[in-house]
Order: sequence, then structure tokens, then C-alpha cells
Amino acid sequence: MRMRVSGIAAATVATLMACVGPAMAQDSFKIGGVLPLSGAFGIVGENMRRGAVIALEERDNKVLGKPIQVIWEDSETSTQVAVQKTTRLLSQGVHTIFGEVSSGSTLAMMKLTEQRKVPHIVTLSADDRITGADKTRYAFRTSNSVAMENAMIGEFARRQKIAKVYGIVADYQVGRDMWTALKADLATKNIAIAGEDFTPIGTKDYSILLDKASKSGADGLMLLVVGGDVVTSLKQGADVGIKDKMKVFGTMLMDETLGQAVGPGSIGINSTLRYHFTERSPRNQKFVAAYRAKYNEYPSQYAGEAYDGLSWWLDTVETTGGWDKEKWVDAFANSTRFDSVEGVKKMRRCDNQASQIGLFGTAVAGTGELPPVTMKITETFGAETLFKPCS
Amino acid sequence: MIARETLAALTLGAVALSVRLLWPDDGTLYFAMLVMIWSIFALGYDISFGLTGLLSFGHAAFFGMGAYAAAWTMQRGGAGFGTGLAAAMLMGAVLALAFAALATRVSGLFFALMTLMLGELVSLIMTTRLRGLSGGVDGLPGVPRPDWFGVDFFENRHFYWVVLALFLLTLLACGLLRRSPLGQALLAVRQNPVRAGQLGLDVALHRLIAVTVSGAFSGLAGALLAGLMMYAGPQTLGWRISGDVVIMAVLGGSGTLIGPVLGVVLVEALREWLSLYTQHTYGLIGLIIILCTLYLPRGIAGLWKARA
Amino acid sequence: MSTLIIGLSISMLLFLLAAGLTLIFGMLGVINFAHGALYMLGAYLAFQAHATFGSFWPALIVSPLCLAAAGLAIERLTLRPLYPRTHEFQLLATFGLILVIEEVVRVVWGLDYRHLTPPPGLTGSVALFGSDIARYRLFVIGFGAAVIAALFFGIERTKLGLVLRAASVNPTMAATLGIDVNLVRSLVFALGAGLAGIGGTIAGPLLPIQLSMGFTIILDCFIVVVIGGLGNIKGAVFGALLIGMTRAFGQLYAPEWIDIATYVVLLAVLLVRPQGLFAAKERLA
Repeated sequence: MRMRVSGIAAATVATLMACVGPAMAQDSFKIGGVLPLSGAFGIVGENMRRGAVIALEERDNKVLGKPIQVIWEDSETSTQVAVQKTTRLLSQGVHTIFGEVSSGSTLAMMKLTEQRKVPHIVTLSADDRITGADKTRYAFRTSNSVAMENAMIGEFARRQKIAKVYGIVADYQVGRDMWTALKADLATKNIAIAGEDFTPIGTKDYSILLDKASKSGADGLMLLVVGGDVVTSLKQGADVGIKDKMKVFGTMLMDETLGQAVGPGSIGINSTLRYHFTERSPRNQKFVAAYRAKYNEYPSQYAGEAYDGLSWWLDTVETTGGWDKEKWVDAFANSTRFDSVEGVKKMRRCDNQASQIGLFGTAVAGTGELPPVTMKITETFGAETLFKPCS
Repeated sequence: MIARETLAALTLGAVALSVRLLWPDDGTLYFAMLVMIWSIFALGYDISFGLTGLLSFGHAAFFGMGAYAAAWTMQRGGAGFGTGLAAAMLMGAVLALAFAALATRVSGLFFALMTLMLGELVSLIMTTRLRGLSGGVDGLPGVPRPDWFGVDFFENRHFYWVVLALFLLTLLACGLLRRSPLGQALLAVRQNPVRAGQLGLDVALHRLIAVTVSGAFSGLAGALLAGLMMYAGPQTLGWRISGDVVIMAVLGGSGTLIGPVLGVVLVEALREWLSLYTQHTYGLIGLIIILCTLYLPRGIAGLWKARA
Repeated sequence: MSTLIIGLSISMLLFLLAAGLTLIFGMLGVINFAHGALYMLGAYLAFQAHATFGSFWPALIVSPLCLAAAGLAIERLTLRPLYPRTHEFQLLATFGLILVIEEVVRVVWGLDYRHLTPPPGLTGSVALFGSDIARYRLFVIGFGAAVIAALFFGIERTKLGLVLRAASVNPTMAATLGIDVNLVRSLVFALGAGLAGIGGTIAGPLLPIQLSMGFTIILDCFIVVVIGGLGNIKGAVFGALLIGMTRAFGQLYAPEWIDIATYVVLLAVLLVRPQGLFAAKERLA
């Protein structure tokens, strides 16, 4: 009896452990993709994965003459899990880490990729620290930074001749930092602040705040909220016709995915866009065609940015002709993508941030094959207005 | 009975040791460390639940705050890893004492609800109000590991020894506690608080002691997890973590020494294993939990007892 | 004044969400952690019904009915064998249910956000006391009040309600009186699940429909029912009003402190009256 107790326990534990760390062939280029494939950001991660897959298929899943093997890990929209999965991927000897969505997860993962000296491609997280205070040699961002989004918002408010802005801001550090920077920017443009509210992430009722904003005399409403709160605030704003009373704008406030969640109330909402499928560059047209053929839908901004960053990275790896990670990193830091999906993107070697154009769009009703809510590009900002020179 | 428990514990220790010796690849070691750390948490939890009968739903607070306490003492205070662990245990114990002082005023399910709410309050304060300390929703990356004797503990095969040692110590401590007069008194409080009171035991005091000790181990586990991941974050404070530890303890066999450990192995292994074969990992785990609840009333550890 | 009206609409929504939870606890002594997941399932079913029938009203009938049927099955298969056991097993089973329900929703509807529009006639807003208030919110207030009235009437004044109460106070005695306690329990759970379906449908036009919606709502439900006293409809009404108004007026003056304020109210109640404000006696449950 006793023997059996310990025997079973030992056998179970041993078998399970043996199954977990499979040995892997060394003759492939391994990419570890850490994305939220479930939880609140599940839809975002899934879109990024789809975009990334197109980048791989475009090159027949090969780089440096070897097949590419991608190991997708679901971070479950939790930084803790993201870190856990990244650690495991690094221990499996991946050549590149791709991800994450949330800036907190990306920053935590960067500590690991730096320590293991593994290149890390970021195509969505926008926190300035990623290519600022906490930048590392190994992490690159090919997508927008918060500073860039902020510059666009300020410029948008000026071009739209908004006189007074009311801010509804998610009460977390990035939200508060962003709002502080934006207020300073708006002040230089002689745009007044009519009022501000900080609201907890996950607030389920925005109607009182929206009512305050609409009575404040402001003609612009800056909605700086995240995740499901975007949908909550816009749905509840649509009921009281907030967008007819003031111009509603923000960062990542509206796109085709969110439009599906908010419904017809989305029309007329203004937002920064990281990417849009209507961009006319040849690469983008090819990408959109391939994406539609495979998934039967237009690529979202998350998919587009993921495709763009990963294809750029793999092309750069190819040019080095060898398997030296340090050489890849050096080459990428000095590279310029002349034909990215949104024109020229230039990697700044000072901070590993890609300088690029910025887009602002308004939600309109989609016609024909387009999604029911489709973004129309209303403003395009040149890289020179969005980026301060490297110091 | 006791001898069997000792033997089972020894076997667990031997398995954990042989993993390090026989499969020293990083992925396996990482998984084994995760299991051991969660086992410390589950063992600690079971002092409050299995031994004393207090169904707490707020243990994530002790676990998560242990992680933060360790991060603070090491990152801000510049202290060593050992001090960090001590601070984590202290944090867990103090917080648990506070929870227990409030929540032992009620019994049964109300105790569970009260601890759940207190835990959520801690989580809320940390994420939204004390952002400067906690790093807000981003958490605190870069929690260090020890730097003893010039060994590089950032290598998992070295850090493994630290985790292994603490796991074995916890197992030993819990085993001794269960046999000690204190452990017997706690068991009496669980089985029949009224009679225990009539026999002259201070029931309220014993409940406080149990939750406090339990909190100290939870804090230790949290600190080790922070060391393993090199990250401390607010997700470890959430109620689902509390739920996880209850699930693990009950599935494995609450009230036994090795039960909670078996529960951890089961859940973590299912999570790893199923995700290799299917996308529906969590649904299947849910189904398995329900089936185990229905058909294994005494957990995995009860399988053998029932037949004995 | 407009704040009061908006606060009332928040309270009614909270009540609709929490009513099923408190009912199941009161009658069965089970804390149903899966209530949030059922509410989410209700919202998705409402979306599906809306898409199929092209209108909101069928959704308000179809979703609760489907949920009640699901509740019946859940009670039979998972909870019935567990009543004689200790609480942790019921908690565990409902925890497992959360995972299963989330998986089902993920497989059927995927990860995309879904949306539900208010029925025609309830879109747009009316000007009241100097503020624009959404018509749909006024409907939520009225509907919530109707559900409260129906529950009170059903439980306090009808014969069925008498049987329910008898079976919950003393199941053995009820059984000897010829009441089919098992049937009563099934019905109560089905009713609770149906209420989650109503909650999910009503919340649909106001909140995002996504997989994690149940996860965030369940704590709100707990707060409401704990303040009022677990298992007590009157208490749930009071708890919902207290929290709804705290949120509404909190937003007016200090939005960033609302969550903390909610928990402070809750803990204050628990410290003064651990059984909640409306519990007649301490339940050791």
C-alpha cells in the first residue's frame, strides 16, 4: 500500500515533468510569440497573430534558408502569465520574442529579453518607457509611442479649431502621464481645459461624467480610457448624443473592431490610428489582399502593425546572412524600411523607436464590403511633426 | 497513518530532487519551481483551511503583498534576498492577522465573503491608490534573485536549489505543526469549536494564530514567485488567485499533508499539458474540477485513504 | 436631481444582476460564483436572439428562458449531489462552471466584441432637470421596479413562494409535508439563472459584451448582496440603492475615489452588522 502511494505520486510527477520540456531541433528559426489570446485583450492578440502569420507566409515560412517555427503562447491578458511564458520560451532557445499588447507586460518581458540577449519586437505597446527610460539594446518598437500619439492629438485639436477641452481620463499611471503631457501641449496651442475627471479602470457608468462634460462649455471631449471602458463610455455617450454636442476624440478610441462593439453610436468618433487598411502603399495593398484571402476580413490596426514590424525584422535578419543575434540587432537599429505599409519607417538607433507617419481617422458607416463601422483617414501627420530629434 | 504521510512527503522531496538531477533543462526546472512555489502557498493555505476549518477567500492578498514586500525591501531598500523573504513572511503574517481579527467575527460562508472583500480592498488600494509603490497595473519588473557565494542565481538550475530548500522546509514545518500540540488544538477547533472551547481552548486565539501562520507561508510563496518571475504585479492580488489556491487544496485533498501539493501538481500539470494539445485548456480544466468535486470528495489524497 | 435619476438606473441594473445571486443563496445556501458567467452567457444569448429575430424584445424573453433551462441542467448535474457536503465543494463546482461557460462562449461566439442596441423608441434621450437622460435608462428603472415587485409578490404572497420559503427554512420538514424539495431547489436555481439572463440582456445596450464581462460584475453583485444581507431580496434592493447612489454622487464629486468608497461602505456595514443590514437572524449557513 505504502509503496503504491509513493510510487504513483512519483510516477505522476515524473511523467508530467518529462512532458513539459520537449527537446527541440536546432535547425529552425524560432520565434516566441507572447500575446493575449484570451481575456480582455484576447481579440487584440488574435489579430496580431493573424497579421504575423501573413508576414511568415509571405516568405514561405523561411529565413536564412531554414524554416521558421513560431511558438505562440497565450498570456491570458495577465502580466504575470506573460512573464511566465516568456521565461519558458527563452529557455527553449527562441531567436526572437514577439509581443506583447499591454505595456506593463512588454516592459516586464524586456527585462528578460535583455538579460538573455534575445531580440524583442514590439508592435503595439505604446508606453514611452519602452523606448525611453527603460529602453534596452534588444527591444525594438516599430509602432507608435505615447508621445507620438499625444503629439497627434494636440495637433488634431489645433487643426479642428477646438477651443476648450474636457478630459475624462482612466485613473492609472500611463493615463495620468499622458493627460499631463497633453495639457501642457494644449496650453502652448492656446486651447483651454474646461475640466477633468479621473475614473477607475472598469467604471461601469459614464453617464454622470458625460453629463458634466457636456455642461462644461467645452467643444472637445478627450476620452482617455482603455479596454472595455472605451465601449462602455461610447455606448453610454451615444444614448445622450454626446458627439453632437462636442467633438469626441482620443487615442485608440475607435477602429473597426471597437466599432463592432459600440454599434451605430460609433459614427463620428475621432481617433488616432496605428495603421489603416486603406493605406495606398504597394506593400499594404499586397498585405491586405493576402490577409483578406486568408481570413476573409480586412486587417485591423493590430494585425497591420504586427505584420509590418515582423516582416521588417525578418527581412533585416535575412540581410545579415548569419545566425549572430548581435549582428541582427545592430542591423535592425540602423535600418530604414522604405516600403513599409505606411511609407518610410526609420529605426532610430538612439532609442530603438521607429519614426513614422501618424494617422487620425473618423468613424463612418461602411458601404459595400467594408465593415459596418469603418474609419476614414482625416489627417496624416508627417514624422517630423511627431518626433523630437534624438538626444 | 503518520508514517505513510512521512513517506509520501519524502517521496515528494525525492522527486523534486531528481528533477534537478535528471532533467536539468530550463523549461522543466521552471515548471518544477512553479509547482513547488504554489505548493508552499497551498500548504500554507491549508493551515487555515484544512487544519483549522477557516474557508478563506482572501489569501491572494497575503501572497501578492508578500511579493511586493520582497520587491520593496530588495529594490528600494537594497536588502538581500533572505531579508526580502523575511519581510514577505512578516507582511503576510501581519496582513493575515488583520484580516483574521476582522473576519473571525463571523463564521462559515460569511468568513469567506469577508476575507474575499478585504482581499479585494487591498488589491484595489494597491492598484489604484498606491501606484507609486506598486507600479500600478504595470507592476514592478526586475525583482532580483539572491547573490550568495558568488553563484549566479539568475540561472534557473542554481535558483532551483533555493526553491527546493524552502519547499522542503515548508513541508517539514507543516508536518511538524500538524503533529505538535498546537496542530492538535487547531484540529480540535476545526472539528468542534464549541467542545474545544469547553475543553479550555481559546478558540478565537487559535483561529488568529492559524491564519497568521498561514499568511506567513503565503507571503513566502509570493516572494519566491516574484523571484522566479523577476516581477511583482497586481494580478497576484486578485480573487482568482485566492480561488486557485482553494481549488488546489481541495482537489488535492485538504486536511492532509501532501494533498495540497498533489492538487498543485494536478492543476499546473493539466494547464501545461492540455495547452500542448488543445485550445480549450481552461474549459477542460473546469470540467475536470467539476468531476473531481463530484466524485473525489476527499481529493486525490483521499483516493488511497478510501481504499486503505 | 438628474444625478438621482441616473443613480436610480445604476441601482436597478445592480439589483437585476444581484437578485439571482441572493435568491440562490437564500434558498439553497450556495454562493454561486458562476453567476457572473451566467450573466455573460445571458448577454451573448441576447445578442444572438437580437441578431436572429431583429429586435430587442424577443431577446428579453429568449435569453432568460435559455438561461433558466441551463440553470436547471446545472443544478441537476453539478449541485444536487453537493448539498449535503461542506461549502467549499459548492464553491469549487461553481468555479469549475465559470471555466466551462467561458469556454462555451469562446467556442460559439469567439473573441470579438458584440453589441446590442436598445429597442426603437428607447434610443436617444429626453431632457430632464437640465440634463439629457437616455430613454433606455428610464426603461431600466421601470423594468427593475417591475422585477422587484414581481419577486416580492411571488415570494411573499403566492403559494409557490410559501413552498419555496418552507423548503429553504427546513428542507426535512418540508419533505415530510409532501413538498418535492429537489424540484423546488431546481426551480430556484433556474429562476436565479433566469434572472442572470435578464441582467445580461438589460445590461447589453449599456456595457460591452465580451468574455470578461462576468468577471468584473460578480464582485459588484457580492458587494450588493453582502451589504443587504445574503439571501434577502429586500436587502438586495437596499444594497443596490446604496451602492448605485454612492457611484452616481461619487462621480459627481470624486470619481477616482468611488471604488474605495464602495468598499469602505461595505466594510463599515460588515463591522457593524456582519450579517448585513437586513438579515433577520445570523445564518450559520
